[in-house]
Amino acid sequence: MADDPRPAARRRRPLRGGTIGTYALLTALALVYVFPFVVSLANSFKTDEDAANHPVSLVPQTFTTAAYQQLFQTDLPLWLGNTVVVTVLVTGGRVLFDSMAGYALSRLAFRGRNAVYAGLVAVMAVPGVVLLIPKFLVIKEFGMYDTYAGMIIPMLADAAGVFIMRNFFESVSPSIEEAAKIDGAGVFRRFWSVVLPMSRSAIITLFILSFQASWNELPQMIISTQSPSLFTLTKGTAQLASGALSAGSQFPVKLAAATLMTIPVAVLFFVFQRRIMNTTAGATKE
Amino acid sequence: MQLTRRASIAAAAALAASLTLAACGGGSPSSTGASSSAAADNHQPLTILIGTSGEAETAAVKSAVAAWSKQSGTPATVNVASDLNQQLSQGFSGGSPADLFYVTNDSVATYAGNGSLEPYVDQLKNKDSFYPSLVKAFTVNGKAYAAPKDFSTLELVINTDMWKAAGLGDADVPTTWDQFEAVAKKLTTPQHVGLAVSPQFERLGVFMAQAGGWLTDDAGKAAANSDANVKGLAYAKKLLADGVMKYSSQLGAGWGGEAFGTQKAAMTIEGNWISGAMGKDYKSVNYKVVKLPAGPKGEGTIQYDGGWGMAAQSKNKGGALDLVSYLTQPDQQMGFAKAFGVMPSVQSLADQWKTAFPAQTAFLEGAASSKSIPSVAGISDVIKDFDSQLDALPTTDPKTILDKVQTNLSGLAGLS
Amino acid sequence: MTTSVLKRPSAAEARPRRRGPGVRGRDGIAGWLFTAPVLIILGLFLVLPILMAAWVSVSSWNGLGSPFQDTVKFVGGDNYAALLAKPGLAQTDFGTSLRNNGWYVLLVVPIQTAVSLFLAILVNQRVLAARSAFRTAFYFPSVTSSVAITVIFLFLFSASGTVNAIVQWLGGSGVGWFADTRGVVQQALGAFGVHAPSGSGFLGLTWFDWISGPSPAMLVFVVMAIFTTSGTFMLIYLAALQQIARDIEEATIMDGANAWQRFRYVTLPMLRPTTFTVMTLGLIGTWQIFDQIYVGSKGGPAKTTLTPAFLSYSQSFINNAWGRGAAIAFILFAIIVVFTLVQRVLLAERGSARKAPRRRPGGRRAHG
Repeated sequence: MADDPRPAARRRRPLRGGTIGTYALLTALALVYVFPFVVSLANSFKTDEDAANHPVSLVPQTFTTAAYQQLFQTDLPLWLGNTVVVTVLVTGGRVLFDSMAGYALSRLAFRGRNAVYAGLVAVMAVPGVVLLIPKFLVIKEFGMYDTYAGMIIPMLADAAGVFIMRNFFESVSPSIEEAAKIDGAGVFRRFWSVVLPMSRSAIITLFILSFQASWNELPQMIISTQSPSLFTLTKGTAQLASGALSAGSQFPVKLAAATLMTIPVAVLFFVFQRRIMNTTAGATKE
Repeated sequence: MQLTRRASIAAAAALAASLTLAACGGGSPSSTGASSSAAADNHQPLTILIGTSGEAETAAVKSAVAAWSKQSGTPATVNVASDLNQQLSQGFSGGSPADLFYVTNDSVATYAGNGSLEPYVDQLKNKDSFYPSLVKAFTVNGKAYAAPKDFSTLELVINTDMWKAAGLGDADVPTTWDQFEAVAKKLTTPQHVGLAVSPQFERLGVFMAQAGGWLTDDAGKAAANSDANVKGLAYAKKLLADGVMKYSSQLGAGWGGEAFGTQKAAMTIEGNWISGAMGKDYKSVNYKVVKLPAGPKGEGTIQYDGGWGMAAQSKNKGGALDLVSYLTQPDQQMGFAKAFGVMPSVQSLADQWKTAFPAQTAFLEGAASSKSIPSVAGISDVIKDFDSQLDALPTTDPKTILDKVQTNLSGLAGLS
Repeated sequence: MTTSVLKRPSAAEARPRRRGPGVRGRDGIAGWLFTAPVLIILGLFLVLPILMAAWVSVSSWNGLGSPFQDTVKFVGGDNYAALLAKPGLAQTDFGTSLRNNGWYVLLVVPIQTAVSLFLAILVNQRVLAARSAFRTAFYFPSVTSSVAITVIFLFLFSASGTVNAIVQWLGGSGVGWFADTRGVVQQALGAFGVHAPSGSGFLGLTWFDWISGPSPAMLVFVVMAIFTTSGTFMLIYLAALQQIARDIEEATIMDGANAWQRFRYVTLPMLRPTTFTVMTLGLIGTWQIFDQIYVGSKGGPAKTTLTPAFLSYSQSFINNAWGRGAAIAFILFAIIVVFTLVQRVLLAERGSARKAPRRRPGGRRAHG
């Protein structure tokens, strides 16, 4: 596709023209991928009319932070607070519980391990979207509807995270632990003081994935709450976007909300860029 | 180091225990206590859920509720729904609905049907002060489920500056379909379209009414695909095809009022909530409200009836009842009318309202020839489907659309 | 990316089981304690809910009170029948949602697979400097919230939005992305004077309705899906490409093939397992589109972006038809399973048929 069908002999030395062509193509494509975010950022600093009349321009006619001010005057701080609470607890829970379970599945030979493993595989095969109604039913029956517990507890563990940790433990040699075992350390002590510290890289991976998943989560928030005081950034922004009376206008405010909610994930992404990309590829590496 | 181990076992066990507790313990409040015990505690806090036309309405309702709250000593919170029906339904099935909420006459039967609504109107002290037709709109199987809050008809809203610019005068206000078409044409310029409407039955249906049709016939049976209805929609389609009418969605606006307020259209068909929106968001636009033109079978429009619904699951029905009678008394209703332009649901205010809002009398006058959506369970779904098909009116045969509506209407118990 | 880890073969499984001596008492208790939090949470919020929903899908529950109280009746297959067999609004809506999502899947899965492979090959070139910058650019949309991306796309494709402005600047006329309700196939046929015939059909839609194609609004969601997922799949392809790099060189030397031949006859077949993974993940993901619809269109205009997932949600949470909503969820589940299996069979068959003549002794395939 990218390579042109020229004789192999000529291709052996990369041609200057070809390389420049590849660069040009890649740059153009990269611009297409980045463009929506730039447009979003630029328009969030415009007035409503400016955004409607000059949607392409990347420079606001009159630079204004009105959209952001409006957001911060309304419920955005509340949404942000709720999102932070959810993200911190869910990420913490997932990192701890998933690594515990992953460790057990890899290292501890206990009766029923195969059944647990098979059960997790089966659970992971269930598409998330068909769980909307079921989850709501359980949350409601447990009396957790419209509470933080209902938003957070169902997300505290995920099967995929368990597998990531399990695969990690499978890939590292158990020799250090064996040494600790010989020293007489019990399994919990081994886990806390030997295993966890040495699993830093896998835990960071799990941390990133959990952070991103909980920060961006929408359906769980829709089905578990109704009070405006429990809105998260995703639910609040979704409401801004689909509010019947403003469907066609006030884009700067909506784009500002979209921009704001993208920032933390973007920061995390750029800090851990290399690791994220290796993880995603690694998870499916055959 | 034994300590650490024990501590972690304890932690794990505690977690398991707390999860199990959450699992077993919490179930009861939502599942029981739904019915009976209305008298209970009159000081339980109330929540009120409203679907608002804008900040003016929100502020007015909030301050009225706050005043009642102060007077009665019962805390009450007003929440604004982004999607009222969704939040109501989720509240009902989640076991924690708002105590009081806006309800419209097209959805009252659905909620009453599954027992979500309390038929409290008979207990209201001021139940006889409402227009009987409004109470009837909220009556299902002989029980009145919601106290009428306000109502509006749909009428024609005109941008007077554009009107003048097109060389039109007071005498040119259209009274027939032909005249209407003619002025819409004159008002269509490259900058704006003559008429913009929200793409929904509860706008375009006025043409069906003017052609002598309606969703049901005189006997109350489904009659959506009658010749009169086809004629009405065909007229709307012609306006669309000629480019003198556009859907608000085609103009990038969320509703007709927004297209009108942003001056993308010279006329729109809306109810009296338009005055709230114009006063707040589009102060610079000069406009007036006139009656819709008459069609082949005379005048006709659609009436919106708003009411206060009370949750059967409310824990403080006594307080809610008191709040409803407070909010529906004449001076409060007049306050709402001033704040966001609604028409009071009590008959005694009619003259006072006309004097106070001479510019909006068309809305009240239209009531004589207006029709309400039949209060039958499931009709809101059919209307919603009708709305979605009207999106396609520019490219679809009106008869095809109405045939589908007829099929769906016939499926409802009570219309077939 | 949840299901992706499934593919990794389990080393534990392969290892000979140490039966008796390995299962020491302490390990046994610890094993269960370590897995307990995950098992409890997944059990309570995944397994139990599915069982409850299965009951709701055959019950008359209307959302009031508990689904397990006496007044809720067993209605057998009524909810399923209303969707599949009984003509009416419920069936038409369901048929419409399948039509919409079917077109979405049909467009998104092949295109996103091709685009991500294309990107991977471009980025994989060794001569390239700044590879990681490009990878970052392509991957960034994948980590961003679907809500934020939808909001951005709503702006880009609004009536007076960026895309229409560019189209007009190029001399075209703007498209009513979220207003036009006709399918693109229908529009194309209309241009040739073919208009919707009435007639028989399936699930409440005429055959013409089924083939009328996605509406412009659905196309926006198609573009959005490709935009947000191609980065992820690019990374999967990249990993595979890096693994088979040596095989490709080997093949080049042996056959003296040119670049296209090398790609067509060596790289592509070797990537088949990866392609299978990408397409399976694509299928599973595309049948589940919900967030974007919830934020962006709520199924409009004219229900042309209604999807089974959103319909299931709206039937339950908005219309209180919980039994029907749950039934839709189970049918959707079945659809996803069936599609995955069918694809597995098809790809496996095609794979072996094509590969047979080219198989060389000792030829390695790229798998783990």
